[in-house]
Amino acid sequence: MAVRIEPRQEVPAKHLTRPRRARWRPSQGVRSAAASAVLLAVLFVLVQIGVATGALRQTGLPVPTDVVGSTLGLLGTGAFWSDFGRTCLEIGASIAAGCALGFGAGIVFWKLPLLGRVFEPYLVSFYAVPLVLFYPMMIVLVGINAGSIIILSSVMAAIPLALNTRTGLQGIRPVHLKLARTLQCNARQTLFSIAIPAAAPMIVAGMRMAVVYALIGSIAMEFTTAQNGLGYRIRYLYETFDNKTMFAYILVVLILSVVLTVLMALVERVLLRGRR
Amino acid sequence: MQGIHLNDVHVHFDHPSGITIAVDGVTQQVPPRSFVSIVGPSGCGKSTLLAVIAGLQPATSGSVDVNGRRVTGPDRDIGVVFQEDSTLPWRNVRENVEFAMQMAGVSKGERAAKAAAAIELVGLKGFEHSYPATLSGGMRQRVALARTLALQPGVVLMDEPFAALDQQTRIFLGAEVRRIWEQTHQTVLFVTHDISEAILLSQQIWVMSYRPGHVIDVIDIDLPDERDASIVSSPRFNELHNRVWASLQKESMRGFQDVETA
Amino acid sequence: MTRLTKLRESQFAGAAVVALVASAIWQVSSGLSFVIPSPAATAEAFVQNFADPRYLSDIGETAQAVAQAFVIGTVLGGAIGLLLGLSAAARTWLEPLLIAFNGVPKIVLYPVLLPIFSLGGSKIVMGVLFALFPVLINVAVGVRTIPPVYWKLGRTVQASKWQLFVHILLPAIRLPLLTGVRLAISLAVVGVVLSEFFATRFGLGRVVLQAYSHGEYAQMVSTILLLILVAFTMSVLLWRLERRVR
Repeated sequence: MAVRIEPRQEVPAKHLTRPRRARWRPSQGVRSAAASAVLLAVLFVLVQIGVATGALRQTGLPVPTDVVGSTLGLLGTGAFWSDFGRTCLEIGASIAAGCALGFGAGIVFWKLPLLGRVFEPYLVSFYAVPLVLFYPMMIVLVGINAGSIIILSSVMAAIPLALNTRTGLQGIRPVHLKLARTLQCNARQTLFSIAIPAAAPMIVAGMRMAVVYALIGSIAMEFTTAQNGLGYRIRYLYETFDNKTMFAYILVVLILSVVLTVLMALVERVLLRGRR
Repeated sequence: MQGIHLNDVHVHFDHPSGITIAVDGVTQQVPPRSFVSIVGPSGCGKSTLLAVIAGLQPATSGSVDVNGRRVTGPDRDIGVVFQEDSTLPWRNVRENVEFAMQMAGVSKGERAAKAAAAIELVGLKGFEHSYPATLSGGMRQRVALARTLALQPGVVLMDEPFAALDQQTRIFLGAEVRRIWEQTHQTVLFVTHDISEAILLSQQIWVMSYRPGHVIDVIDIDLPDERDASIVSSPRFNELHNRVWASLQKESMRGFQDVETA
Repeated sequence: MTRLTKLRESQFAGAAVVALVASAIWQVSSGLSFVIPSPAATAEAFVQNFADPRYLSDIGETAQAVAQAFVIGTVLGGAIGLLLGLSAAARTWLEPLLIAFNGVPKIVLYPVLLPIFSLGGSKIVMGVLFALFPVLINVAVGVRTIPPVYWKLGRTVQASKWQLFVHILLPAIRLPLLTGVRLAISLAVVGVVLSEFFATRFGLGRVVLQAYSHGEYAQMVSTILLLILVAFTMSVLLWRLERRVR
């Protein structure tokens, strides 16, 4: 009575849904980029016409093409590169220190839930509390130098990453931890092969915020008081009524932040490939 | 002492409103190279019993031996397939299948070879580079199955692995598991609440009662070794189904009433 | 035993211990360096400030600007977020620019705003620019992640647009919305005070910078603490509300 309809060697792949390759759809991205470019171009042209015809005289805006010209002119000056290098140093150092600090703190808060709960109200509100306002206190303590900016920017960058890392680690699906147990993973394997990759979407989102906070913090503090750096230079040029160069510096800051944003989007794409 | 030996296993859960007796003195054995299923109503402690055998849950009293070794904690020689999707979304199919071996320190070359074989065995050839996000629930469970089989554990425990899938996929995958078992003849203990699935797959079925959970009936499935999904329409299958159902019915009703009045 | 665990688990007690330790460190370090005012001196300045009518009018000035920036920023952010969440076309056109703009240190635009909005208006606009984004992003993401079955439910009961908004959309996004609002308050404070650091005649930002340049560190620290305290209290209150709503 051996009922046997067919010898099923294997379920051929074609019976199942075809593997949708992790292809990224350029169409939406390209459309968006094109639309943004169009919007920017329209804005550029409108301001150009507005300034040229005098309709925007009251706004004090310079002619956009002049700004582009003076920005290109900046690139040949040593003073610009000195400001640019200083700001990049501050941002880079705060990103590195802030990420290390935030990531470490997030893991510690996850491993020691009591500590995490005690610090939670502080973290949650410091994340929102205007930390930049501590800057005058920092310069009294540390001095008007890159150090005080880097310290505060690092803390600002660390907080969202710490919170996100902890939230991500707490949100690991229990079955993944159960899997780690049945496979007798040691603590290191569980952390690096299960926990951190599982929390990666939250961690990467935290890193993106960390980068934004490091950038905003550094520039805002330079703008308040400093002796060097892009933010400081903008304020200095404003106070010396050098409108044209000031706008060139503003444009540089805008480009720098867009470059960082795009860079982080790429980092996210690489780190989270294959996931939905 | 090959196979799984359960010796008077009790599991009690303490909570503020009292004690729940999840498993109440189970003494049974799964002979080596055989396929045994546990069926029972929801909440009868069958998954708890499986967790005890897997070393994930300590028994309140009693003991479990797997292939001659006392279970005191998780062991890589005891493979577990979970009910929930346990694939790792950051690894593609091949990397997922290699995961267990990687954790066990298997060399790279050996991993690749065994993973390829396991992927072929569960019918996922051609999907090696797909990520779980692009796979259906059934295919993800195949990945989890391949991951477990690739490590070639002494026994395999399956905790309602197809419970979250639709009926068709479930029968289909059940037949697949039977086919794979015919090739590997690993010792398998399979937990399910689906009687047909249990009969289709097993050589023996343990029926568990609703709280306190103990084995109230052991039914040998005398269907031919070579079977596939079509066997569900045979008369003997129906007889067996009625037999299991009769054992289970009283218990299901009791569990149902308990839940309804809770 | 249970009381002990309760105390141990009490977040409030733990957080208070952290605050105490921080104050102790402050006290000790103020003895080590003359630039650090002692907690007592700071507290004294803090209390005395409230007797000074000039200081009170500075508080009023800043509070008013922050309130306006917060309200305008939240409404504007909510509206743009809604548009972005509901319209695919809006996303295509605006999303990349808004994401890019979110990452911009907006304070550098302050000199651009000054001639357009004058001294009084610019700091409000700056506050709006700061407060706008958390609300915008949270609302947009919140709207997009509403389970489709909610909309289907709305359609089957033939809910009007307004009913959909009030009974489905708002409750569904209440959590991200609250988070956005919480961040918006503090960011409105940052935007306004940073602007006051730059150029203004009134406001707490000016007080801080003036105290700094005069070396009146107790005055400076007490004013910074006042600002931080207000933002902190608001955000903790909203955060607790958020957890209750969940």
